[in-house]
This record gives sequence, C-alpha cells and structure tokens, in this order.
Amino acid sequence: MAAELQPLEAAAAPAPRKRKPKHKKSKNPSKRVKQKASPMATAKPRQPSKKMKKLFRKRAREYHSDEEDDGDVEREEEPSSGDEEDFDVRDDGSGGSECDDEEDERGAQHGITRFVGGCRAFRVAFMKIMKKHLPDDPLGPILSAHKKLVAEKLAEDDAEHKKKGETKKEKQLAAENGHIKPANFLDAKEKFLIGVATKGVVKLFNAVSKAQNAQIGLNPSKSKDTKVLAKRRKQAFFSELQKTNTQVSNSRKEEKSNVTGWAPLRDSYMLTSSKLKDWDKMAEPAAVVGQEHESSESSDE
Amino acid sequence: MARFKNKNKKALARPVKNQPSVDHITGQKIPKSFVFSRGKLPGPLRDLELDLRKLMLPHTALKLKEKKRNKLKDFLNVAGPMGVTHFLMISNPKSVPHLRVARTPQGPTITFEIQEYALAADIARSQARPSCPKELFSNSPLIVLSGFGSGGQHLKLTTIMFQNIFPAIDINTVKLSSCRRIVLLNYNNETKLIDFRHYSIRLQPIGVSQRIRKFVQKHEVPDLRNLQDVSDFVTKAGYGSESEADEESATVSLVSDLGRVNRASTKSAVRLQEIGPRMTLRLVKIEEGLCSGAVIFSEFGKEADDAHEEEDHED
Repeated sequence: MAAELQPLEAAAAPAPRKRKPKHKKSKNPSKRVKQKASPMATAKPRQPSKKMKKLFRKRAREYHSDEEDDGDVEREEEPSSGDEEDFDVRDDGSGGSECDDEEDERGAQHGITRFVGGCRAFRVAFMKIMKKHLPDDPLGPILSAHKKLVAEKLAEDDAEHKKKGETKKEKQLAAENGHIKPANFLDAKEKFLIGVATKGVVKLFNAVSKAQNAQIGLNPSKSKDTKVLAKRRKQAFFSELQKTNTQVSNSRKEEKSNVTGWAPLRDSYMLTSSKLKDWDKMAEPAAVVGQEHESSESSDE
Repeated sequence: MARFKNKNKKALARPVKNQPSVDHITGQKIPKSFVFSRGKLPGPLRDLELDLRKLMLPHTALKLKEKKRNKLKDFLNVAGPMGVTHFLMISNPKSVPHLRVARTPQGPTITFEIQEYALAADIARSQARPSCPKELFSNSPLIVLSGFGSGGQHLKLTTIMFQNIFPAIDINTVKLSSCRRIVLLNYNNETKLIDFRHYSIRLQPIGVSQRIRKFVQKHEVPDLRNLQDVSDFVTKAGYGSESEADEESATVSLVSDLGRVNRASTKSAVRLQEIGPRMTLRLVKIEEGLCSGAVIFSEFGKEADDAHEEEDHED
C-alpha cells in the first residue's frame, strides 16, 4: 500500500516534472518497500506463528478441563498420543470419563490416560452386568458361568441342614415323651391325693399313739410283761385293723403272737423257714399248742 | 486312676456300709433295692432314675455305677451277696418309658408303663416354698396304698410287692420322728391308672396362733412396731390360713415330743408337702420270673406280649 502510494505520488508529482530517478526505482524496489514496511509493522499487530497457534490450542483445551466431554478427552488424547505410543488402549479409555476418580487426576495427563484406559473396560463390563436381568434366586445372583452347578450344590447343602434340624427336633421331642411340668397350684386331683395320704398318716399315727400309750408303763425286756404286752398289742392291732377302711391299708406287718420287744430274744430269730419254727415241740405232736401255752413255755425257758 | 483300673470290672456296685441286713426290731430281713436302667435313657429319664434312687434311700445304692455292657445277669450276681431283694428298672423301648419292679432272685416282675412323670426338680420349682432337707432320707418312707382293694389278683400282687419293697414298721416300737416320708400309690378304677406320689411329713402344733408358732419355729424376731404391749402380740386374733380348716380332721395326738414345738399328748396337725418324683403308671404285664417266665397278667393280649418279649431278649 505504501509502496503504491509512493509511485503515485512520485508519478503525480513529477508529472509536471520530468522522470529523473528511473534507475533509482528499478535498482532498489525492495529496499524502498522494506524501509517503508518496517515503520508500518510497528503500527499494526503481527500474525501468530504456527508454534504459537499450537500453544493457544492447548490452553483452550485446558480451559475446558472441568467439563465432562468426550470430545475434550479425545482432543486431549490425539495430540498426546502422538507423543507417546506405549499404551494400547485408546478408544476404550472413554469409560473413564464417567469415573469420578478421573476428574481428580486430570492434572497428570499421561497417568490419566492410562487409568482412563483401564476404567473404560471396567465400565463396559459393569454396564453389561447391570443390564442383565437376573432371576430372583433365594441364593442370590450368581455371576459365574457355572451357574447351575453352584446352584445345585447350595440347594443340596440347604436340604441337608433342614434334615439334620428336623431329626434333632424329633429326637428331642421323643426324649421328652411323658415328661410334664406340674402346675404351680394344687388342683383338685392333687388335693384329693394329699388328703388320702394325710388320712393314712393320721390313722397310722393314731394307732401308734394308742399302742404305745398302753405300754408306757411296761418295760419290753421284762418277761412278765410280755404276756400282757402281747395280748394288748394283738387286741389293739386287730381292733385298729377293723376300724380302718378297706381303702387304706398300711404296711404294718402282722406280728407274731409270742413276740418280745427285742428280736434276739425271740424264738424265731434268724429262723426263716417256718418248718423249724417249733422244732422243740415236734416230738409232741399231740400236745395242743395254744398261743398262751407257747408263750408261757417260752417264758419259762 | 479309675479310668484304667476299671477296665476289666463288670458290674460295679459299691458295697453298702453299716447297713444291717436284719431289722433288729422286727427280726425280718430289711429289703434292699437296686435302681438302674436298661438301655440308654434320654436326659429326663436319667433324672427320674436318680430321683427314684433317692426315694428308696437308705436301703439302696445311691451311687450305683452301671456300665453300658452290664447285663441283668451282672446285677443278679452282685445282688446275692449284698442282700438286695428288689430291682427297679427303667427302660425306654420305642420312646415310651417303662418301669419294672422285680423281686430277686426269681421273683415276679411287674411292668408298668409310665404315662406321665414329673421330676423332683420340677415339683420344687412349682412350689412356693420347697423344702427337702437331707434328714428326710435317713429313714425309709411309709407306704400308703389306696384303691387297690377292688381289683383282681394282679392288683393284689402289686400291693404285696410294694409293701415288701419298704421295710416293715412295728407300731409298738416305731419312733414317730423316724417317719418323715410317705409314698402314696392310688389306684383309679375307672382309668386303671396308678398315681405315684412322694410326700414329706411335717407336724405342726395347732391351738397356737400362727404368729407365735412361726416365731418359735423360725426364731425370727417379730415386728412389734405397731403394738403397744407384748400381750397384744400374744393374744391378737390372727386370721387362720384356709388350709387350717382342713387340718381339723388331720390332727393327731402325739405320744412323744417331736422337736420343740410338738409336745406329747397335745394335738398336732399333719401337713404333707410333695417332694420327689410324680408318676402316673399303668400296669402292663406281670411275669413269673425275673423279666422272663410265664406271663401271669397282661394288659393287651398275646400279640403285644410277644412284641414285648422280643424287646426283653434284645436287652
């Protein structure tokens, strides 16, 4: 522009005058331009070089680092992929953009791309699993390929446990067969039974008191009294027996007629077989053996 | 040490010390018993066996040691020299508990089926004031049989058997202080079941107000806060418990003194408290021999007899 102006002005000015500096123009046209361009360059801005353009692009990318954009990541990858060719996974790393971890690690770009690469695979697998509709198993979702085998085994274990539990319960029930816990209170039946037992005890005690009261004065070791004792006892005993109801019977043994108070004094001590009871009288079978006679004879001995 | 030494021993029964074999009063042999089990018993039945052993004290082996391989024969061999006359056996064929009462050496065997039972511990738990002092078991219990008179021959045999298990008492010489326990066997004609109960006897003086009686018996200092004078305490009319009305008929006049409170020739009331196991028995079988021999009586009939005999042979 400047250069065009000048020849115009030069042409306009020397139009009335003659062209003198012709060889000056043809000799150094560039010099004139340069001289005239350099002052003009300081006035207007320079156009950025290619390196600077690259730098500007990087900065623009960094400016968008907070946004989750696949485009950003891809843009980021492409130039850096040119720098490093180690990692294998390029396209799969996009899954990492969804990971929360990635955001924190964007600072270290090379490390990020590696992690992002691994996360992508995980993301794909995870999505596949979540999309799969699983049957509602009581044993829980089974992810392994050997679904059926595992399920069968678990079902078997369950059945075994159930069987064991049932047999144990049955055993316990059988052990407690017949065992009852008594009630806290006395019901009518128990009261009746206690009444029956009490009656028996009362009868026994009364009989004892009667019998023993009668012999308070008598000494059982004395032979004289044994007769009286024996008589009294027999009478008392039989009368008591008749008095008692047929319902109640006590474990009193019938006493022998010629009994003394202390067992070794008796004739039949330690002689259990009744055949030998009256061995001294066997020679006299004809003799009438009354109870009083017996006792009198024994007392004489 | 016992583990290794007892390898070759068969029946293990400790000899009973200081036990007279002949009663010095009545001159008759004191019956002794063994209580043991035939076959493996479940938990509660083992406790029942121990309760029965306690019941039969003092004329029984309380700590009778039985081994799995002990057969009836072993017990028989030991019973002879020790003067044991009766066996009480608990078994559990087909999860139904049975009790067998047999007289050695060749006596009859009576088999009962235990329909229901309650352990001594259960009964103690169900009572408000359980009391079971050890002195109760230093003497044999009395036995009361009721309701058997109406039955047939088999019932008579049962009564005789039970009367023979416990030593006889001579009313002329027995001390009332030694009668502390009572065993009741009540036969119900309609259901044909025998109720087995075990009570402890307590004598309480009547005619004294409850407060004075308690004071003398328990030595607890009474609360005299609200009273003006000691005479109030002595003469105050207290309400009698409802059981005192029942005691009217249960009064006894004692021959001798029993403790501090029960004086001779004064009226005392007899009060029973249940201790020990409670059973409901059903008579099933009577055999002539000791778990063998001809069957004198059977509840069910011949087919059941054969089944039961097979079980016996297995034991």
